[in-house]
Amino acid sequence: MTGVRVGKRIIGGQSPVTIGWENVPKVEGGPFKRLFFTWFQPAVLFSMILFWYYAPNSIAKASTAIGIGIAFRAFLLALEWVNPRYKSWELTWKECVTDLFYVGLGYTILNLVDNFLGSEVLIANLLSTFDWDKFAWFTGLPLLAQAFLILFIFDFGQYWMHRGMHNWYPLWLTHSVHHYITQLNINKGAVGNPVELFLIGLGIGGLFDFLPRAALLAGAIGMSIGVYQHINVRFNTPAWWRFLFNTTEHHSLHHSQDFEATRSNYASNFIFIDRIFGTCVDGEAELLGMEGGRRMSIREQMTYPFTEGWKTMKERFGKADTTHVVPAE
Amino acid sequence: MSGQAQAMPGGEAPAMVADSDGRSWMRLIDWIWTVRGDILLPEDLSAEQAFARLDPFFHEPGTRFDRSDDSLTFSKKDPVAQDKMSIYDTGVLRIERDAGGAVLRYWMTSKSLLFCFLAPLLFVAFGQLIVGVGLLAGPGTEQADKKKDEKKKDEVRPLHWIDKALGAPEPEKPKKDAKDKKEGKNQFSPTSAYVFAGLFALLYIIGRILEDKLIRRRFQRSLAGG
Repeated sequence: MTGVRVGKRIIGGQSPVTIGWENVPKVEGGPFKRLFFTWFQPAVLFSMILFWYYAPNSIAKASTAIGIGIAFRAFLLALEWVNPRYKSWELTWKECVTDLFYVGLGYTILNLVDNFLGSEVLIANLLSTFDWDKFAWFTGLPLLAQAFLILFIFDFGQYWMHRGMHNWYPLWLTHSVHHYITQLNINKGAVGNPVELFLIGLGIGGLFDFLPRAALLAGAIGMSIGVYQHINVRFNTPAWWRFLFNTTEHHSLHHSQDFEATRSNYASNFIFIDRIFGTCVDGEAELLGMEGGRRMSIREQMTYPFTEGWKTMKERFGKADTTHVVPAE
Repeated sequence: MSGQAQAMPGGEAPAMVADSDGRSWMRLIDWIWTVRGDILLPEDLSAEQAFARLDPFFHEPGTRFDRSDDSLTFSKKDPVAQDKMSIYDTGVLRIERDAGGAVLRYWMTSKSLLFCFLAPLLFVAFGQLIVGVGLLAGPGTEQADKKKDEKKKDEVRPLHWIDKALGAPEPEKPKKDAKDKKEGKNQFSPTSAYVFAGLFALLYIIGRILEDKLIRRRFQRSLAGG
């Protein structure tokens, strides 16, 4: 396998990938189907912006956002059946149970931990310790500018946290579990070791003050862009969207079995952050995972960072293995 | 025929038919994680031919199997997601002949089914834990944390003139008491945990019925040569 040169790197030397938008397959079928899967993503994004911008205060609240989020994900699950990107990524009962287990952990135990250790709590403690106020520079800005800043601040932090996870071994141990997923489905973003899920949720947004409606707008925009990272649906995503936002194509490359491909496309929503720092690769991959696509059980996903870390520690600091015999050449 | 993998001791094959030995009581509960069934084989199909037709099921990554004349024992470790038998961990397939003809009887266990069956209990426990932690944390700490923000909550920050011109609704003065009560309640609410407990109970019922039917249909198709 020769791979494709992208900048100074060879992508796809270890596992097949498709590089360049011109090589990514298009949606096939009648005119309605092609129209639907071309404009669905922008239509949802602009509808969400309009809804949350103009919704009366009695409707514009967190419970409405949660309800819309659940209904939207259920609809996208149906779309995975209608127009899958790859048959090999089809959602099975077992995959669905595994994914929902992690979604459930996020809504329960991780949420509970966040109440005590989450970044919002830590920042609130920091502000109160030093008797600081939140930075209120942004509350005077237009709502959409505030919403963009909320998302950008979070995404910029997440970009570096994610890139750090791919470059610093202790962080990689926690993140590697997420890279053992062998297919993309709508809830796969939730799959990972709880330590990583906690770390990736950290942000400095709590330092800044925003209008509540701006926060709701940010949540809706973030959902309308970020939800497609892990999805098994083929879209004819418009070029401007692919230039600005992370897509399932970008993220499938990031999850590829090819090592170099995984070291790209770190941003959660705004792929232009990767473009700025030279880590963006446009394309897609079907074969995902680690160790040739070995599927990890939930038990191993829970323990892997610790058992693997322990093994590494023993190798590095433990006694030399005297039983190991080096064969003579 | 020897399988591609390590042999499994034949003595470990469980009873596939109800019997009166010490294990029969397990039949009362092992339906939770065990899928059993029997399929009548076409008249002219020998055991050798039947297992040859089922052979592709056991050549998936992570699968070990051992085949004798009339039975096949398998085990799977970390099967790939699209393995048609990915939910099963161990099992036995046996061909038995009686006056009615040849029958394939299968017995397969699934940790995934057991996990899904127990998941509702786990999430109910999570719900109880959340309630317990909420009681330990107490309402006092939340109120103390909020005191500092109270003054701010009373302030209504105006919209930017662009938003006013575009017709976005003005922010309301928050109803402090009602909101605080609600927030305090939601912070340690077990509702999500109970919703997921219900969801996993539903998923178990779906999986137990669906996976049973799917594997039966797949075996039938393969045996019919389809």
